[in-house]
Amino acid sequence: MNTVLQINQISKSFKDFKAVDNLSFKVNQGDIFGFLGQNGAGKSTTIRMLLSLIQPDSGSIEIFGMNLNTHRNEIVRKVGAVIEKPDLYKYLSAYDNLKLFAKMSGIKVSKSLLMDQLELVGLATRYDSKVGTFSQGMKQRLGIAVALVHNPELIVLDEPTNGLDPQGIADIRNLILTLSRDRNKTILVSSHLLSEIELIANRMLIMHHGKKVVEGDVKVLLDPSKTILKIETGDNSKAFELISKSNWTKGLENIQNQIQLEITKSDIPDLVRFLTAHQTDIYLIQNLHSLEDYFLKLTNPKEDVHAVAN
Amino acid sequence: MFTLLQIELHKIYSRPRTYIAFAAITAIVLIFQFAFKYDGQSYMDLMLQNIQDNFEIDKSKAINGYFMCYIILNTLLIQVPILVALVAADTISGEANMGTLRLMLTKPVSRTQLLLVKFLASFIFTVCLLIWMAIIALFLSILIFGQEDMLVFRVKGEESFILQITKDDIMWRYFAAFGYAAIALTVIVALGMLLSVFAENSIGPIVATVCIVLFFTIVSNMNIPVIDRNVKPYLFTSYLVGWKGFFYIGLDDYGQPIKGSIENWPAIKKSIYILLGHIGFFLTMAIISFRKKDILS
Repeated sequence: MNTVLQINQISKSFKDFKAVDNLSFKVNQGDIFGFLGQNGAGKSTTIRMLLSLIQPDSGSIEIFGMNLNTHRNEIVRKVGAVIEKPDLYKYLSAYDNLKLFAKMSGIKVSKSLLMDQLELVGLATRYDSKVGTFSQGMKQRLGIAVALVHNPELIVLDEPTNGLDPQGIADIRNLILTLSRDRNKTILVSSHLLSEIELIANRMLIMHHGKKVVEGDVKVLLDPSKTILKIETGDNSKAFELISKSNWTKGLENIQNQIQLEITKSDIPDLVRFLTAHQTDIYLIQNLHSLEDYFLKLTNPKEDVHAVAN
Repeated sequence: MFTLLQIELHKIYSRPRTYIAFAAITAIVLIFQFAFKYDGQSYMDLMLQNIQDNFEIDKSKAINGYFMCYIILNTLLIQVPILVALVAADTISGEANMGTLRLMLTKPVSRTQLLLVKFLASFIFTVCLLIWMAIIALFLSILIFGQEDMLVFRVKGEESFILQITKDDIMWRYFAAFGYAAIALTVIVALGMLLSVFAENSIGPIVATVCIVLFFTIVSNMNIPVIDRNVKPYLFTSYLVGWKGFFYIGLDDYGQPIKGSIENWPAIKKSIYILLGHIGFFLTMAIISFRKKDILS
């Protein structure tokens, strides 16, 4: 499977505040990748970094196999984005806004192309109305049309359902699914709602306080029979190597000196026996069961996050 | 680049705010023309009260289209920088405030390119404003008041005197003066853009640009020797009114005006270079800052 987006150990601080801390992840072609975290987790900062709006302090970003720093213009031609509230030019019509950004994208603009895009987001009948008269949901849909007008391969949507009513949320969700299914787009969508991501994404990542908490397949991560296990041992390098040669390699990662993997609950005792049989001292074994509970705890600042760890 | 420029101009001219400048200039010019049409003699009496004993001046001819334009420019070219600042200081910060800057910067356009295009669009707006001023302050005044020789009142040191420029020697001076004004106002455009880069709403950079221009103008107009020597040469506002130099006609040994001449062309040239230097400096600083800026709006 082709990797569309690869983020390698990026960090970003604003004065003393570390917004993103050593974050790595990748998005494969055709994924609807859910980027989950509470407000202030670092999602928007990460998205702005991968759109070259913010320069990371360290780390690198590769999109379509090209380094963002050195091939920015080639990359952004193939990327469409909606960043938070897509506030467009209020004094221009929907059609003029779309035309303006389509021209900026460097594509050949025709009336039929623009009307098709407006049709796709359900705004064709309001093409001549000034954006200043639009509701938040309509602006959001027009923002998506702007993001799609140059037929990008990767679509980045930062909290696209924010401020929308239930019908608006459902419309955006259906649009994302249509774009993935019918147009084979790769989509990275951020949200602070697990339920949203669960409904549309096939892979997901959870961020908390600028750090990656977990990354993997949504079905696996949310499967009650499976769990994410964090392990800390006397010699993590050795343990990591041992596990990587075993049957439990799914989602295996070494994150900040802790080994993390996806595992069926019934396999946990076997894994522990396997490690101890190889003279590995286990200091900590942490079951992030269940992810939904874990995320709810993360988003509830009154409760101790570690309380859900087994 | 041309497409981007078209887009920027389309945005500038689609906004009602843009026309405030044109409306303000039109209103001021019309008030001037109305006042001079009906009570110009009083103004001339006031201007000539110290020297009319020595000269005989036909006041009915002194108020003509060329003279009117000179009076209007004298007043307006102090206020026009404020109108230019309204547009220039809004270029980046206005987009940041609307939330469209982040969208623009996700398109395959470099930040340097975007800033240069915005600068060019603001420059074109400034030139349009000056052309409009020329149309109503010069050509409309000629239509209303006619064409005659022009009197220029000049104060030089302790002396005040009148220069007379024949009517066939004036029009080129106005073209040169408007050209100079375009360069002078472009300094305001570049300054406004530089301040605009650092802000996320329009009010701050607009107010800051206007305050800087007003403060520097006040200092530039102080007649204190220590400031004349040590401060004024370094303030761009000292050169904003340099357009008047085109109307200071050269005199021969008998004190008679020499047609087609300018008293001090090297000083005008120096002022132009200094203004261009300011434009280059402000624009370079704006580009460097904008390229490094994290877009958080």
